[in-house]
Amino acid sequence: MTSQNVKIVKKKHTAFVLDQQQVRSSVHFKILFHQILNADGLIVDNLPEFARQSEQLIALYRVMVKTRLFDEKAVSLQRRGQLGTYASSLGQEAIGAAIGSAMAEDDVLFPGYREYAAQFLRGVTMTDILLYWGGNEQGMNFKWQQYDFPICVPIASQAPQAVGAAYAMKLRDENRVVVCVVGDGATSKGDFYEAINAAGTWGLPIVFIINNNGWAISMPREAQTRAKTLAQKAIAAGFPGEQVDGNDVIILKHRIGQALSKARCGAGPTLIEALTYRLCDHTTADAASRYRSEHELKEQWQYEPLRRLKSYLHKIGCWSDLDEQNLLASCHEQIEKAVNQYLDTPSQPPESMFDYLYQSIPASLKEQRKSVIHWSKNSV
Amino acid sequence: MDYFKLPDLGEGLQEAEVIEWHVSIGEAVKQDQTLVSVETAKAIVDLPSPQDGRILKFYGKAGDIIHVGDPLVEFESKTAPESDTGTVVGKVEIGDAVVTERPITESHSSVSGFKATPAVRALASRFKVDLAMVKPSGKDNIITADDVQRVAKVIKKSGEMVPLKGVRRTMSLTMGQANREVVPVTISDDADINSWKIHEDISVRLIRAIAVSCKAEPSLNAWFDNHAIARILHKNVDLGVAVDTDHGLFVPVLRDVVNRDPVDLRKGLNAIKEAIKYRSIPPEEMRGSTITLSNFGTFAGRYANPVIVPPTVAIQGAGKIRDQIVPVGGQPEVHRILPLSLTFDHRAVTGGEAARFLATMLNDLGLPD
Amino acid sequence: MSEITLVDAVNMGLASEMEADPNVVVFGEDVGVNGGVFRATANLQKRFGSQRVFDTPLSETLIAGMSVGMAVEGLKPVAEIQFMGFVYSAIDQLINHASRIRNRTRGRLSCPMVLRVPFGGGIHAPEHHSESTEAIFAHIPGLRVVIPSSPSRAYGLLLAAIRDPDPVIFMEPIRVYRLVKQEVADNGEAQPLDVCFLLREGTDVTLVSWGAMIQEAMTAAEKLAESGVNAEVIDVATIKPLDMQTILDSVAKTGRCVIVHEAARTCGVGAEIAAQLSEQGLMSLFAAVERVTGYDTVMPLFNLEKEYMPGVDRIITAVKRTLEG
Repeated sequence: MTSQNVKIVKKKHTAFVLDQQQVRSSVHFKILFHQILNADGLIVDNLPEFARQSEQLIALYRVMVKTRLFDEKAVSLQRRGQLGTYASSLGQEAIGAAIGSAMAEDDVLFPGYREYAAQFLRGVTMTDILLYWGGNEQGMNFKWQQYDFPICVPIASQAPQAVGAAYAMKLRDENRVVVCVVGDGATSKGDFYEAINAAGTWGLPIVFIINNNGWAISMPREAQTRAKTLAQKAIAAGFPGEQVDGNDVIILKHRIGQALSKARCGAGPTLIEALTYRLCDHTTADAASRYRSEHELKEQWQYEPLRRLKSYLHKIGCWSDLDEQNLLASCHEQIEKAVNQYLDTPSQPPESMFDYLYQSIPASLKEQRKSVIHWSKNSV
Repeated sequence: MDYFKLPDLGEGLQEAEVIEWHVSIGEAVKQDQTLVSVETAKAIVDLPSPQDGRILKFYGKAGDIIHVGDPLVEFESKTAPESDTGTVVGKVEIGDAVVTERPITESHSSVSGFKATPAVRALASRFKVDLAMVKPSGKDNIITADDVQRVAKVIKKSGEMVPLKGVRRTMSLTMGQANREVVPVTISDDADINSWKIHEDISVRLIRAIAVSCKAEPSLNAWFDNHAIARILHKNVDLGVAVDTDHGLFVPVLRDVVNRDPVDLRKGLNAIKEAIKYRSIPPEEMRGSTITLSNFGTFAGRYANPVIVPPTVAIQGAGKIRDQIVPVGGQPEVHRILPLSLTFDHRAVTGGEAARFLATMLNDLGLPD
Repeated sequence: MSEITLVDAVNMGLASEMEADPNVVVFGEDVGVNGGVFRATANLQKRFGSQRVFDTPLSETLIAGMSVGMAVEGLKPVAEIQFMGFVYSAIDQLINHASRIRNRTRGRLSCPMVLRVPFGGGIHAPEHHSESTEAIFAHIPGLRVVIPSSPSRAYGLLLAAIRDPDPVIFMEPIRVYRLVKQEVADNGEAQPLDVCFLLREGTDVTLVSWGAMIQEAMTAAEKLAESGVNAEVIDVATIKPLDMQTILDSVAKTGRCVIVHEAARTCGVGAEIAAQLSEQGLMSLFAAVERVTGYDTVMPLFNLEKEYMPGVDRIITAVKRTLEG
């Protein structure tokens, strides 16, 4: 029977009528959006306790500025050929700052790759980050941070691992919490769904934070899912999800802090979707102008997190131009030091590629290890 | 992004201090317009702009030390606002090489080699047995350990093989190669040299005859390319002259025999023979012959099939001169005869061409002088 | 001491190590109340509680990923993937993370996890349940791949795997789960990783194999002995890191080698062993190294299973070929 013989019967469209009796909702959900400090630097909701203490806010501001200046420097290093591909956190500093500030020392952070502010607050050095993107594994061998996981490149794969760590904490009845940060793109991955599902099933001490910066390389947020919010995916996993203004460090620290406390006392996981914007390219090798408009980018700058906090601090009389100057100078100095330390760090010896595969090197690798040393000596 | 980097300031200077900027951010500058003054250990230098363009950014303010090669100024890019790196991580190199390939469709080498396991090969090596000498008794023509042992015993009795070296070795290899490639056909005839003077210079006459014959039939004075199926007809005749010595067979080249007179040719021949005797002949003089003469008749032999060495396509052999009874006008006479054998490569030369070449040889050699 | 099956030996090993080390946790799908679809984890939940022995939702990625997070945090996870055919969804976590976390943090973090993976054909199972793709893991730097072939080695190697500070893929040959019994002492003694086991001494040919194929290799060796050929049989056990020295020493003695594996031929682990024999054992060989393997096809549904899997006849024929030259 050839295709010519087949008669195509046009489908009739009939309205599908639901028996109203059958429609019973078993779950209602609302996803709330929270904000305290708006884009104009005005307080629009009750100030939490910590936010009434200007030193706390200043501390948050300082780390965001340092992160931003470091970020600029890193991009500049890459442009000069002194750093490999680098993923900037431009515009997303508030999320990292809030996370780092809210977590306890022995909590465990599972970052993606734009959480430098959190990492800096938790003992990772700027030199570490530069070494990593500069092609040296020593960068993830944090000297001052023993629990946190390294930067994670395969999208969302940190999520099931985070669940494992949280399970361990619950098993041992510890007073510790896991924070797992993913991007908007990550929420489409199986790893993410499987992780939140398990976290909800077992009521684990874990907080999932979504850095929703609007773009997954060239895919806008709308292309990832039909769901109106990413936060509501938690509902499917059986625990609460909420949205916050991801450029408002005050609400971020407030809600993240609350989620951590809740998890710490055994009340289970939370999903916080932080709405922000990726003011940078995906990485230094990407050119966002290929897929998004200059106009959109320019517009988003008005919402960025540093400006509004500085404006508020200024308004309440806690931050002067001199303070700003001093901060910039101090940051530049620290950054310069870190860059020099990075540039002065020699490459590891080639045999180091063998030395951390197993606790002790198996016999089967010894010949190859000798060989790489031999060839390294002989290469001009 | 267009960057102006701190250029090499010469004299091994590696860095400079920014003294004063003469332009501002956002300003459109012209090529050669002074951008900035920097101070090195030796002097204050004004740096000119390498291009027209608008300044986007400075890298360094007054008092900063900048290293040679570091960016000083960023210009607004005149090409695309951001160039497409064509990747999202790392760096994908863009090369200029254009690949041309000529896939090899026929195989030119025949599969040869001996079948023996490594252990058996090691055995053969230990006993200094050349696998080529071993007749395989194993299935599928595989040489077994027993085979090697057998040959080893024979060698022990009859003595060791002496490896060929130097010229003898080269001869083995060259002749082997020739055999694999060339399609040789030999035609022979006798030149009647009865009219020659008593002490005629045989070699020189042969050389002259060849020169004349190459002119008559140029296709025997050629090189043939086996792979391209192409030939080049040489204008000059550079004659390879086979010389037999204690050390082995040499074939030095007597250049441009067409344009040299008999005295010069004789001188050239003598010089070559001296040089060979004393092993002082340079390698260049052994290469590039367009046709070869093999005068093997010094000792014995009438006709032969001398071997053509690629890329030449012909070799003229001359045998021992003898007296022969020949019919002249129906009556027997004793004439001096010089036997000739011309081997030609039938891939490049026709029978007719070869025959005409040989006829010309006979004719020229038949002349009194 | 009692005679027990391989799967019981696994159970005994798990219990022994869970008793000795409170950090050991066991999890996977259906391993709790059900005791595992093969009963490998039977009674463990009853004995050690549902926090240390628990069922996960249906997600292999989660199982493997959780193992990484737990192991870094100081637990000793011994997770189960129900069948090798389902481990593929977990490979991202194993290759991108488990195998590398020590390397990419320069030793700051490490991952002492065990992933138990029942594998192999010959059990008349529906499709996807008879996989034998250990070569995938053998290729990955930073992993260990261990395949026991007997109850005693299952017990001893499992203990070693759990105690090992690095990730181990522990592949259990389903066909042998209950096929044979052996006396195994529950003495908490580990057997060494990274070494081959010499199961039978011989002089004429070396048979190299692992997993369920050890059964066929040993049967072949006995049959060969009847016709005067004395075969040496080596159980590789730790596929990676490979103990090549034992194999080389054996081939130096016998001069002939036949490798037997159920997995498909091309780029199977037998290819690696043959290559290393060529590199380091060439001068000992009197014949080409033979490989008797599964075909380069998808494992057929069970009607043709026996056609696919290497049998004693194919092994004997291969041995005879090595003796001809």
